[in-house]
Amino acid sequence: MSSREQERAISEPIRNFTATLVNRSHSIFTDPMQSRDERAIWLARNVLPHEASLRAWLTKRPVAGLEIDDIIQETYARLSTLASVEGIRDPRSYMFRTAHSVLVTFIRKSRVISIRAFAQFEEEALVDDEPGPEAIAIDRDELTRLGRAIAELPPRIREVFVLRRVEGLSQREVAERLGLSENTVEKHMGGGLRRLADFLANGGRVAHAASRDETRGEEGAHAARDKRRD
Amino acid sequence: MQRETSDEIEAAAARWAARFDRAPLSADDEERFVRWKAGDSRRLGAFMRLRAVALYSERAQALGPGFDPETFDLGTCGRGDHVPERSLSRRQLMWLGGSAIAACAVGTVAMERVLRDKTYSTHLGEVRVVTLEDGSVITLNTSSAIRVRFETDRRVVVLDEGEALFDVAKDRARPFIVEAGATAVRAVGTSFAVKRLAAAPVEVLVREGVVEVTSPAATQPTRLNANMRMVATGHGNRARPTSVAAEAVVRETAWQEGRIAFEGETLDNAAKVFERYSDTRIIIEDPSIGNEEITGLFAANDPVSFARAAAASLDLKATVGPGEVRLAR
Repeated sequence: MSSREQERAISEPIRNFTATLVNRSHSIFTDPMQSRDERAIWLARNVLPHEASLRAWLTKRPVAGLEIDDIIQETYARLSTLASVEGIRDPRSYMFRTAHSVLVTFIRKSRVISIRAFAQFEEEALVDDEPGPEAIAIDRDELTRLGRAIAELPPRIREVFVLRRVEGLSQREVAERLGLSENTVEKHMGGGLRRLADFLANGGRVAHAASRDETRGEEGAHAARDKRRD
Repeated sequence: MQRETSDEIEAAAARWAARFDRAPLSADDEERFVRWKAGDSRRLGAFMRLRAVALYSERAQALGPGFDPETFDLGTCGRGDHVPERSLSRRQLMWLGGSAIAACAVGTVAMERVLRDKTYSTHLGEVRVVTLEDGSVITLNTSSAIRVRFETDRRVVVLDEGEALFDVAKDRARPFIVEAGATAVRAVGTSFAVKRLAAAPVEVLVREGVVEVTSPAATQPTRLNANMRMVATGHGNRARPTSVAAEAVVRETAWQEGRIAFEGETLDNAAKVFERYSDTRIIIEDPSIGNEEITGLFAANDPVSFARAAAASLDLKATVGPGEVRLAR
């Protein structure tokens, strides 16, 4: 096969794959809210606890042009659009294989790596590294960990989060209690969720951009990408 | 592959997750959400991840009204601490999948009076140690559930199902009472196990000290000393306590360390015991094999290793399949 033909042979499945992904995200849209939440709960129970160890695993397999955060987001996306998760007996392994597949997809598409290196990558045995202590956490520690994560939130966000989650008030009730607008409460919840996710799934690292948001008072600051990595 | 950074996506996803948390989406918002998601395959992933955290964080309610973020400290939480444990109600447990979660709080958090039963439970294959505020220690075996209710004049634990070992701290002012079905076991300071399995009579096994058992089967309360067992067999039959060899008591409580001990136990019975700890079934293909006897100490949640050991010891063949291991000649 000429290199041109090789490239075409590689990129064709990618086009089909991308089309499938787009279609699938439409299918999740037509699902009722409940099944979306059910999937989110499944992710919370079966995927989130392993994210830290997946990140560690990915750190050992760097790919030029693709960042770990991108892979993680893509992985969650794929797991969210599966028609069913009932058959998955080992979610952790499935999560790792999905992430690996994201890597492979990117490599094929980017055509950066030589064909030989690519073949090597494909053959790599998908051995699950020993589950780290995070993966074997017993339930009683989970609530403690959550409590600690909340305790680490910046003061204003924490105030909102504790009222919303520990006290169980609605966002509107929180707004009334604290004398804030509902939009402000919503914004703080967003910041809180982001930090909580970083803490729980990223081994406690808080994104720099998020910290900057706090002082600037706005979400979605265009953080410099080089500043984002520790 | 990307026009926007994962960080930008994360920020937008957080806005959406917060919107979802606030209230059900309006039709307009739904439309905007769909359009946003379609823009990049990573966006849905980032959103669902935060949505997962949002729903997961709802269990924070279990931290209780006494939760003070200023003084909440992971380091001082642990077994053996004499601090009250908070737990979720049974209904909340069911939503979260049935495993009990407890938190501990220190510092300025006040010890609150128990207004309702504290529930503790274990799922299949789990062994769990619970320390109560009086210093008593309860070890829960696989698939067990208890409810704890301490009152001024007595300490009550209801064994709803399963098996638990009670190491009771001495408190003459407050007898410790375990209720299992219609059977009640009363102790002052002692160590004993109670077993309440489906379709089986309640069993009480005493390791140390003295307990008094009341049950419909006996007209009077029955005293049990160390190394004694009582089976509360049905109504009308007088349940008699029997002596148990000290080694047998140790064997029958080996589950505390996640192990099962057999001494001349038939394979049939052994297979049944393993059923309590794991979904993997030991299937004995030849009925004659079922009567073969096995002795040894095994990991409770590893029926396959047991089957292999039994096969080696009894000259059988163990074949592992999905969810099962078969023993044959």
